[in-house]
Amino acid sequence: MTGVLERTVAPVQRRRRVRVGFLASAVTIGVFLAAAVTPHVLAPSDPFTMDFTRALQSPSLAHWFGTDESGRDLFSRVIYGARESLAIGVGAAGLGVLVALVLGSIAALAGRILAGIVNRVIEVLFAFPTLLLALLLVSILGSSPLTLVIAVGLGSAPGYARMVRGQILSSKNSGYVEAARALGHARFTIFRRHILPNALRPLIAIFTMGVGQSIVWASGMAFIGLGVAPPSPEWGALLDAGRAYITQASWLIVLPGFVIVVLALAATTLGKHIQSSLEKGDA
Amino acid sequence: MTLMHKHTLKTAQLIAAGVAAMLALSGCSAGGSIQPEAGAKQVKGGTVSYGHQQEPACVFGGWIEQAYLSYQVLDNLVSLDDNHTIVPWLAETWQASDDQLTWTFTLKEGVSFTDGTPVNAEAIAYNFDYWAAGGNSTAAVWLGGYYESAEALDELTVQVNLAKPYPLFAENLTQAYFGIQSKQALETRTEEENCASPIGSGAFTVGEWNRGENIELLRNDDYTSPPANARHDGAAYVEKVDWKFISDATTRVSALRAGEADAIYDVPAIEWAGIGEQGYDQLKYVTPGRPQQISFNTARGIFTDENLRKAFVYSLDRESIVDTIGKGVIPYEGNGAVSRTTPGYSEKAADAYSFDLEKANQLLDAAGWTERDDDGYRVKDGKRLDVLFPYSGGTIINADGASILQGVQQQAKAAGFNVDLIPIPPSAAASGKYSGVDGYDISVGYWTSVNAGIQYINWRQNLPESPNNWNSAFYNDPQLEDIIVRANSAADLDEQNALYAEAQEYIADRALSVGLYDRLSTLAVNPHLKDVWQESAQGGPVFHDAYFVE
Repeated sequence: MTGVLERTVAPVQRRRRVRVGFLASAVTIGVFLAAAVTPHVLAPSDPFTMDFTRALQSPSLAHWFGTDESGRDLFSRVIYGARESLAIGVGAAGLGVLVALVLGSIAALAGRILAGIVNRVIEVLFAFPTLLLALLLVSILGSSPLTLVIAVGLGSAPGYARMVRGQILSSKNSGYVEAARALGHARFTIFRRHILPNALRPLIAIFTMGVGQSIVWASGMAFIGLGVAPPSPEWGALLDAGRAYITQASWLIVLPGFVIVVLALAATTLGKHIQSSLEKGDA
Repeated sequence: MTLMHKHTLKTAQLIAAGVAAMLALSGCSAGGSIQPEAGAKQVKGGTVSYGHQQEPACVFGGWIEQAYLSYQVLDNLVSLDDNHTIVPWLAETWQASDDQLTWTFTLKEGVSFTDGTPVNAEAIAYNFDYWAAGGNSTAAVWLGGYYESAEALDELTVQVNLAKPYPLFAENLTQAYFGIQSKQALETRTEEENCASPIGSGAFTVGEWNRGENIELLRNDDYTSPPANARHDGAAYVEKVDWKFISDATTRVSALRAGEADAIYDVPAIEWAGIGEQGYDQLKYVTPGRPQQISFNTARGIFTDENLRKAFVYSLDRESIVDTIGKGVIPYEGNGAVSRTTPGYSEKAADAYSFDLEKANQLLDAAGWTERDDDGYRVKDGKRLDVLFPYSGGTIINADGASILQGVQQQAKAAGFNVDLIPIPPSAAASGKYSGVDGYDISVGYWTSVNAGIQYINWRQNLPESPNNWNSAFYNDPQLEDIIVRANSAADLDEQNALYAEAQEYIADRALSVGLYDRLSTLAVNPHLKDVWQESAQGGPVFHDAYFVE
């Protein structure tokens, strides 16, 4: 009896969990987007205003996330930092997907020689550590948000490119492409109307998950001094600045770190839901 | 075990790992007192594990980080004791002629370099020529304009001839930039070999250098030439110093607390009190010479206007910024030319400017910067009041210093300056980015020195026939140079200090440079390691007398 009941209830619970997860991540992303668009509405004070009399105060009702070494309100800095952090995340994930689309398409559709060359390029990029690439770019371009976007974007592109290539190859050999060819459609038309949309669909989910991952990577690079310069409230820069005070004022590193984790988790959850919906659509 | 239990266990393990990592990071330990027991006895030998902040390219050179290292390996002619008195080292006696143009040094007998060659007058004369020719960049600028030649009068007597009188000549030689190397090594070994392991007659020799990690300094068992202010004669007590490079300040402190380091350099201000309460020995040395100061580019841009320089300075509550970030450890310094521990220091120059936002605004209004944009920055003829302010992060400016500069940036904003604060990584600094007259509006930095003669290096004119790359304000003024040159050559100490003070006030009056804070050399030492001290010329750690107790 119990076993039957469990089997009956489980799918309902799973669906409910799915809905809760989706809603929670969507709301979280929404809050971060609101912070990025209108930080002045959510932040209680200016993120750059120093108040030396309030330096290194632990979290309290007056300062939810405490204050930093110069008496700046950390919660306000986290809120204002959302714009730059999200911009870096979206920019890097967007660049990664764009580069992947170009490389993946050529690797799948070009002639044998060109496809072979691009495949080798993808493999080389795949084997090249992202951090090393970031170091190289920072030494050439200097540390800035744009450098982070380029470094993280290029670092994530090879993985996406392989995915795009696989997706295009499977579409290229599918029945509907065969049918379009039989109907005499031009190659570019087939690519634009039939292959590209099918390759793009999984990328929407990948892109959403990539935003969270890119923010984590960019924050990691800022943490080791390769990111945005202080006094920017970009989250990685906050982590880097808080590092010096970790033993005496751990909130300076724990709370921005927690925010990064929450956003990355929300973006990944949302991406997985999108992926699962698209797969259901396919089925 | 159910899936849920497994999941909970995994989460709990993760949390436990996280907490453990946090505890490790925060340096918490379950250990008891770190103090040795009463009557603890000296232990023979042992290895000192020392955590230093920065790794230089060479053991020997013109940067203070190199001087700290080379001090362990090379002996100087003379040393400076705690009373600012010059005492014998390789030279037993020295004397200047009446006209101060000829200096004669008589060397100790029987001292050898670690390659077996003798420390004699010929070797000393060779080292003077080597420095003057650029073998050590900082030694070269100290000698520049004064040094003419050096000659061996006999085996143990060397004569140095100067072009101009310089009563402070011997005092300058106490800095580790003037460490004596083996003539044979300089002549026969490659530049790379001498860079990585210079041959001196010092208490230690250079062992293995694992780049990015550590340098091993091995005891020179035949050491016979400690300075007169050393605490014992003969070879070092410890066998080895493991000079580790730990750039992150928090990691250095954690290494000390975890017992992985016996001593660490550059303790962050926020950790200073806690380290003391935990029983670690603390040594603090306020470096004489040029403090951490900002100098304005007077050759190009907005700060060619003296009133704008003054407006910038008046907009800053420097003392308040330094006191907050420095936690009472880092001293505020108002004087831009020399720090408070420098002989001939001028209080008047240090007190020339205090925070006065109203005055800053008046000066800017009078200069025509009357409009403000939406962000509050001043605008004149459609041009914003931008200030390019690069700084060498992690090298010249540590984490505390970077926070102080952010305070400067924020306070200047209230007056309408848009300060673009750019941390320059070491690679960019080494490539010369942001240097030169087009490289910045404001520069920040220090220059350690034993006396106010540093002003000659920092303010001597930069002229085609006598270039001076160290004049960071690009300020060419024969009158200022004349005051400093007269000070350098003044035989009477009071007259000399008065002239040095006059130069500092001249610099302050024109707001060419203003001080921020005094550069510190701080050490925290495990109390099981005794008799580590800081030498008096530059504040570097001395391990020759150090020993462990048990």
